[in-house]
Amino acid sequence: MSKKIDVLIIGAGPAGVAAGIGARREGAENVVVLERDWDLGGILQQCIHPGFGLRTFKEELTGPEYMHRFIKQAHDEGVEFRTNTMVFEIDKATNTVWTMNKERGIEALNPGAIVLTMGCRERPLGAIRIPGTRPSGIYTAGTAQRFVNMEGYMPGKRAVILGSGDIGLIMARRMIWEGAEVEGVYEVMSWPGGLRRNIAQCLDDYGIPFHLKTTVTRIHGQDRLEGVTVAQVDDHMTPIKGTERYVECDTLLLAIGLIPENELSRMAGIDIHPVTGGPVVNDLLQTTNPAVFAAGNVVIVYDLVDNVSDEGLIAGASAAKFAAGKLSGSARRIPVKGGENVRLYSPQYVTGETDATIFMRVTHPIEGACRVFAEPGLYSQRLRYARPGEMNEVKIKAEQIRNLPDLQEIVIDIQPV
Amino acid sequence: MNYDVVIIGSGITGASIARELSKYKLRIAVLDKASELPAGASRANSSMIHGGFDDKPGTVKAKFCVPGNKMWHKLKDELDVHLDECGSYVCAFSDEETKHLGKLLEQGKTNGAPGVEIISGDELRRKEPNVSPDIVAALWSPEAGIINNFEAVNAMIESARINGADLYLETLVTDLLLDGNQDIRGVATNKGEFLAPVVINAGGVHSGEIASWAGDYSFRIIPTKGEYFLLDRTTRGFIHSFLFSCPSKAGKGITVLQTAEGNLMSGPTATEQEDPEDRATTPEGLAEVLKGARRLVPNFPVNLNITTFAGVRANTESGDFEIRALAKPRGFVNAAGIKSPGFTSAPAIAEYIAGLIKEELADRITLTPNDKFIPERRNIPRFLYMDMDSRKALAEKDPAYAQIVCRCETVTEGQVLEAIRRGARTITAVKMMTRAGTGRCQGGFCCPRVAEILSRELGIPLDEITRHGGESKLLVGKTKEFLLKKEGAANE
Amino acid sequence: MSEERKFICVSCPLGCGLTVTLDDAGEVLKVEGNTCARGESYARSEVKDPRRVFASTVRVKGGKLPVCPIRSKTPAPKGKLSEIARAVAELEVNAPVKIGQVLIHNVCGSDVDIVASRDLAAV
Repeated sequence: MSKKIDVLIIGAGPAGVAAGIGARREGAENVVVLERDWDLGGILQQCIHPGFGLRTFKEELTGPEYMHRFIKQAHDEGVEFRTNTMVFEIDKATNTVWTMNKERGIEALNPGAIVLTMGCRERPLGAIRIPGTRPSGIYTAGTAQRFVNMEGYMPGKRAVILGSGDIGLIMARRMIWEGAEVEGVYEVMSWPGGLRRNIAQCLDDYGIPFHLKTTVTRIHGQDRLEGVTVAQVDDHMTPIKGTERYVECDTLLLAIGLIPENELSRMAGIDIHPVTGGPVVNDLLQTTNPAVFAAGNVVIVYDLVDNVSDEGLIAGASAAKFAAGKLSGSARRIPVKGGENVRLYSPQYVTGETDATIFMRVTHPIEGACRVFAEPGLYSQRLRYARPGEMNEVKIKAEQIRNLPDLQEIVIDIQPV
Repeated sequence: MNYDVVIIGSGITGASIARELSKYKLRIAVLDKASELPAGASRANSSMIHGGFDDKPGTVKAKFCVPGNKMWHKLKDELDVHLDECGSYVCAFSDEETKHLGKLLEQGKTNGAPGVEIISGDELRRKEPNVSPDIVAALWSPEAGIINNFEAVNAMIESARINGADLYLETLVTDLLLDGNQDIRGVATNKGEFLAPVVINAGGVHSGEIASWAGDYSFRIIPTKGEYFLLDRTTRGFIHSFLFSCPSKAGKGITVLQTAEGNLMSGPTATEQEDPEDRATTPEGLAEVLKGARRLVPNFPVNLNITTFAGVRANTESGDFEIRALAKPRGFVNAAGIKSPGFTSAPAIAEYIAGLIKEELADRITLTPNDKFIPERRNIPRFLYMDMDSRKALAEKDPAYAQIVCRCETVTEGQVLEAIRRGARTITAVKMMTRAGTGRCQGGFCCPRVAEILSRELGIPLDEITRHGGESKLLVGKTKEFLLKKEGAANE
Repeated sequence: MSEERKFICVSCPLGCGLTVTLDDAGEVLKVEGNTCARGESYARSEVKDPRRVFASTVRVKGGKLPVCPIRSKTPAPKGKLSEIARAVAELEVNAPVKIGQVLIHNVCGSDVDIVASRDLAAV
């Protein structure tokens, strides 16, 4: 009989590795991180471009470099990793986690606390229902990235990129560097999905056209993709007749958004927020199943890995406290409400047990001076602008909450000034 | 290559005929141009096992539908395929449509469809709470079911192969071969000649063209496209059965159903077209499906759509099946124009064709019973549906069953390896046989992994692996080599 | 006569819109729009000697993966990136590879080293 696992973490990406560190630092004895791949690091192992960790390490690292540092820390802290191990079921009645591994077979684990750090997945083609055929050559940008950066294969010779999420922009440049052509990037919205700097350094640097309010309306080709029809869209995102254009390409890369990966969360019987697509959590990153915590892109899709790691540390520490019976069961549960310009945010509840950072995105770009705030009078910060592609933060101190024993609700919003 | 029977096409019709004939001591070749099965209309359809009330008494369809339905209820266990015996409803929105239900009820009785009855709209809503409040009555057909059509076709052909039939994929029949008497000698294909005294035309949407090679111009195929939405399995239980709209001249109308695996699905349109191979979905078609789906199920959760697809069915001008042996050339048998309820009817058609050969073509081949015929065929283990003890046992026996390849459908490496052992050579073949890639990410996660396993197991480079044969390669070469080759070409 | 040039700063995720004013001799008169000192130095570099970090992969013999990610240790001259890409494409290294290991010194005479950006074990 192996010793009891205090904190079990599902997924060894940036959130999971940090959660392992956080749990050990909080004193949890036996901390195990499960990873379905043979390697630790999650998606960052295929994000070989620089741009990670400026806040944490004061320099811009590539994905593998960023993870290398965290994994080393985790090893130093005594976190145990089990690779090639996949969780395929969670029994919500007993919080039993079912795992599989070729050597160990199928096992049931009953940890003191669980941290969900499964990350997110890419929105697939089906989600946007483009008419036409179903040839080969259509990939999510991340799948193409894996082929190019991990397997050493080219997905195609001439690509069209649909959606302007960061992975799509990064892959545009990556394809160019490997000798492929990129015909253009098409974004249905009137603003870019990814960071401006990625439009500058991945598209503008290479003269790749970027088309806003334009989308792919048809897919052509029986075996391999032969082309796509693109068309401009009106304000209701309906294609405008007469603007259709045929674009020859053998590859369509999709960068149309990321969705938190919550199959296991649902099995664990926790509430999923309809807008974030991730678990409903409080500022301790505790879900509606008290023994289950969650951090990183499984909760809400972040822009910066630094935030993911920070949240991982918090979730790991909270889980360690819970496993040790040190997390008060009678914590306050003050709901956070988003104002009219807030599309999504997390956490949804504040306890006052810890300093809280609430992450949020606006519904539409606010160009020009604005203010991000939390009422009643908890936080206020001026901004030069607010854009959906760039998260904003509200910071609330535990003390502020403690000083307001009758606080019923916190409202966050961003308003032009 | 010499055979007793060559079957053109391995859709559900061809595969069922192959299995039926494998009950006799015959050398059977089944030829299909696709790289994986099912490929044509058998892949993209409503996966319905019809109750048998819809076909006009006296038609060929009416003759085979009810017997076929009965056979499937038995075959599901024999062949180990999913058949959700859920029943179906035809929904009426007006008195006029209710009147039509009465006609269907009478038809059902004449056709011998058991248990068919008319229920009130409220009764329907007690069983299916998500249907429209405007439905006033429904025709209930308890024997109707929904089959996993991917499994069914593969099971059928696999069973035929277990009993000695040979399957040739990527084999396109280009002509018929006739002997000195102008009777059937075999077929010419892209892979050479297949000689046999009996050739069965189960060419689906191409069956009209094939028949014309035999000089049979008595029917014409009108390729008819049907478009569909397929939704995430998290929709399981949104509805529990198969909902028809009241039929019109255009077809059976838009339906809403829960597939045998629990996905909500809706379709099909019925758009006549020239091109039998045009399976592209269209904005108009999809809009029509959505409208029809929402009429039956107002809150149809289309936001959970995971893919859209289209199939092309082999409609005929008469609207009926074309099943017969030709007087000339002797040895040529049509199992043509098989459209809805073709999937349901296929086993019964197959039985009929065996009889036809006995009666009409005894001079060409003799049907001696194969006493070694094995009716049972076991499916590839379906990890998703197994209880934990069976999973543990399986993983202990073969560690490949302790490795997930497809997350959405919980398909293990063991299943993929088994599919390859059973003949899968493409990503789509693995998908058809294991369901890897049929889930909400539509292969985003598992496609590269399945490709790697195919490459490793078959000993072919990763960039030679195809999605569905032909030119559908996933990759165009190795990085670095690609760049250097391009630079080299530019410098020349 | 002075000249204004506008571009997006790529130094950090903020992506500030920079405006650089140059005199007739091409010397920087002023930098506007930046939030931090990194932006200022990026702006000055971008108008005189634009540079980018190059990140790609190299072929690996006998490794756990067929390719290993690499990067230019420091930003490389923008005009040399395609030449560098070719030099990297021609290279094949033997596993194991250590993170930070220099794979090409002074790539294409740019004074920039190409280093491995992960550990890659041998099989």
